[in-house]
Amino acid sequence: MTPLPPIPVTGIGCLCAAGNNLTECMKSLFAGKRKPLPPTRFSSDHQVAYPVFEIRKTIPATRSNQRHDILFTAELALSAAKEAAENAGWNREMLKNRRVGVCIGTTVGSAMNNEEFYRSYRDGDNPNMDPIVRFLNSNPARAVAREYNLTGPCQTVVNACSSGTDAIGLGASWIRSGICDVVLAGGADELCRVTYNGFISLMITDDSPCKPFDANRKGLNLGEGAAILVLESTDLCRSRKHPYHATVLSYGSACDAHHLTAPAQDGRGLMRALNAAIGRCNRSPADVAFINAHGTGTPDNDQVESFVLHKMFPGIPYLSTKGYTGHALGAAGAIEAAFTIACLNAGKIPASIGFENPDPELPAAPVKHQTEVNGTIAITQSLAFGGNNAVVIFGKGNS
Amino acid sequence: MRAAIRGLGIVGGFGSGIEKLKHTLISGKRTPKLIQLSIKKRTIEMPVYLCDTSPLGAFLNKRALRRVDHFSRLALLGSFLAMEDADMLQADHENFAIIIATGYGASNTTFSFLDTAFDDGDACASPTLFSNSVHNAAAAHVSILLKARGPNLTVSQFEMSVPSAMLAACQWLEDRVADAVLLGGVDEYCSVLGYCWQRFFGADPPVSMKPVEWKTQSAIIGEGSAFFLLTRDEGDEPKYGFITDIQIGHVRKYKPQSPGDAFLFLGADGQKSSGIYYNRHIPHGARSAVYTPLYGSLPVGLAFDMAIGALSVREDTVFATPKHAGKDSGLNIFGKEQCLNSERISCLKFSCDGEFAMITMAGT
Repeated sequence: MTPLPPIPVTGIGCLCAAGNNLTECMKSLFAGKRKPLPPTRFSSDHQVAYPVFEIRKTIPATRSNQRHDILFTAELALSAAKEAAENAGWNREMLKNRRVGVCIGTTVGSAMNNEEFYRSYRDGDNPNMDPIVRFLNSNPARAVAREYNLTGPCQTVVNACSSGTDAIGLGASWIRSGICDVVLAGGADELCRVTYNGFISLMITDDSPCKPFDANRKGLNLGEGAAILVLESTDLCRSRKHPYHATVLSYGSACDAHHLTAPAQDGRGLMRALNAAIGRCNRSPADVAFINAHGTGTPDNDQVESFVLHKMFPGIPYLSTKGYTGHALGAAGAIEAAFTIACLNAGKIPASIGFENPDPELPAAPVKHQTEVNGTIAITQSLAFGGNNAVVIFGKGNS
Repeated sequence: MRAAIRGLGIVGGFGSGIEKLKHTLISGKRTPKLIQLSIKKRTIEMPVYLCDTSPLGAFLNKRALRRVDHFSRLALLGSFLAMEDADMLQADHENFAIIIATGYGASNTTFSFLDTAFDDGDACASPTLFSNSVHNAAAAHVSILLKARGPNLTVSQFEMSVPSAMLAACQWLEDRVADAVLLGGVDEYCSVLGYCWQRFFGADPPVSMKPVEWKTQSAIIGEGSAFFLLTRDEGDEPKYGFITDIQIGHVRKYKPQSPGDAFLFLGADGQKSSGIYYNRHIPHGARSAVYTPLYGSLPVGLAFDMAIGALSVREDTVFATPKHAGKDSGLNIFGKEQCLNSERISCLKFSCDGEFAMITMAGT
């Protein structure tokens, strides 16, 4: 298969429970800090207060005007987009004259599920339309395009937990095909009572801090956040002599076609996605510095990933960062892409926090401690409801 | 960027299957049903184009459809019809990609999930309803039942969902990541949507859609699905022709650029907020047709116009715009069926925010 041309990543923006920007996040990760707590923005009547990774700091104001009332998910996307655009040396005025696309993954940001509105509707109270207007204003890709006056293609990917990874892969393809000069690609999602209840109902939520790949893992903790990468054509990047943090080398995607919520135990979809991505970047497994696993902490997910990583990348260090961030659903893949790039450039990965006791059922274990890594490429992978598997491979940058 | 259309599967208020669509185009018959809505303590009747998914029983048994909601059934029926139309139902779908575009996803299931928590407490929220309310559940059902293991994507961009999905499909075909892409637009009616419609657009529902009376709000909610089995150009003449161009933009910076000889199929659907853009940006006298009165107003309406475009290519015919679509639009609207003469068709959709998409199709 002909290798794809690498796409430079010239800017990164990221915020989640670990920090309000990428620098803060990486500092928390390498300090081994995490503090999941019961949610504060909503309550529930579960007997157990399941911990979540909530953004507790006020996020910086990002909007040029407040004309549209928007959901927190869209605010998160805008905050990450601002950090990413500034990091890439772009401002609104400069972007206005370029072919700029926006591709963002989400779950909550596309769900019309305002509980207060629906309860009132159900009770026959004729609720006012503000929550619906807010939902209509909050499509994350459209919200970012509106804020920056962008007129290129706009796509909100709703592939559940792989959305952010898929959005980055799709955004890179827009640059390769010449549709766009620049793409803001990533993911955004907020904590929400509806998904909180949903994941608890599926009995895959841990009532203590999550423990990805650990023998005693019980499930995930939900999280929230956003990350945006500025992807740029090589010609444009070269012409403005801007350094790049990394390159998107390739993207692979495949479906298990097995079950609505559980991954295929033989890992066929994940292997297929990994093979597709590896096959398109003209690198060998020996070049891989590390792998950022999806690592939710659910028994099934972690088992499949461990099996596949052991089979395809024996001996290559891997980690899950969800112990620091929780599972931010549609944003998770993008947040982890940002971490992957930062770690590749730093030449080290943090401890896979929460992993203490190796599971004898898992053939490969993640790193227990901060680990130096060598290699020129890194892989980030996401598994999702619906049997989706998405993989992005990054190459080192020159920044 | 060029994709061959090998099969079509369509489900609308008019019925299901491409021949039902053709019959509806020829007869011009509109088929909204009246549903009752309770608003401000009074009951009103509202027309909606509702779909019957029972023909799915011809493809799948009851067991396979257990716990599959209406939204996913719309997607499955459209998918299986498209595969059957392409004579690919029994083929190996291992390297097929699935893409679904939707404006609002499985709204009924989303609200049913909330019902379970409201009625019996958070601890009794239904896991089945939750997993089926996730936007990509329909794409997952299609993949599972067709055993399609290529890439799988669901996008939700309101009226621009279909063109943004089409962009991914053409890209995947060009990059050879899949042998074929099964792409569809799906949206469903739910009573909350009906309520929102009434609150936004007034208490007196329209009697019929008049989409080219730009200043009249006459939209009637539609639901359904339209699926396309797409492959690369393999040097033959696919019966539904090719997708030859996709334009996506915003009127702030661009105008849709239709090939000079193309017929325009307008996605105007009786929404006043987007109607103004058709009025402003289509050249006076442009050869146009509008079919929305046959299937209604829904975010993925562009997929229905594309299906009509593909059928027009197959029949080498431009079907008449249904009567009473409106007057004084300033356009050359076809009131009578005529020969396509192998010319191109551009399906144009504006969103209420000024985004636009134009997808051009041709027989060769």
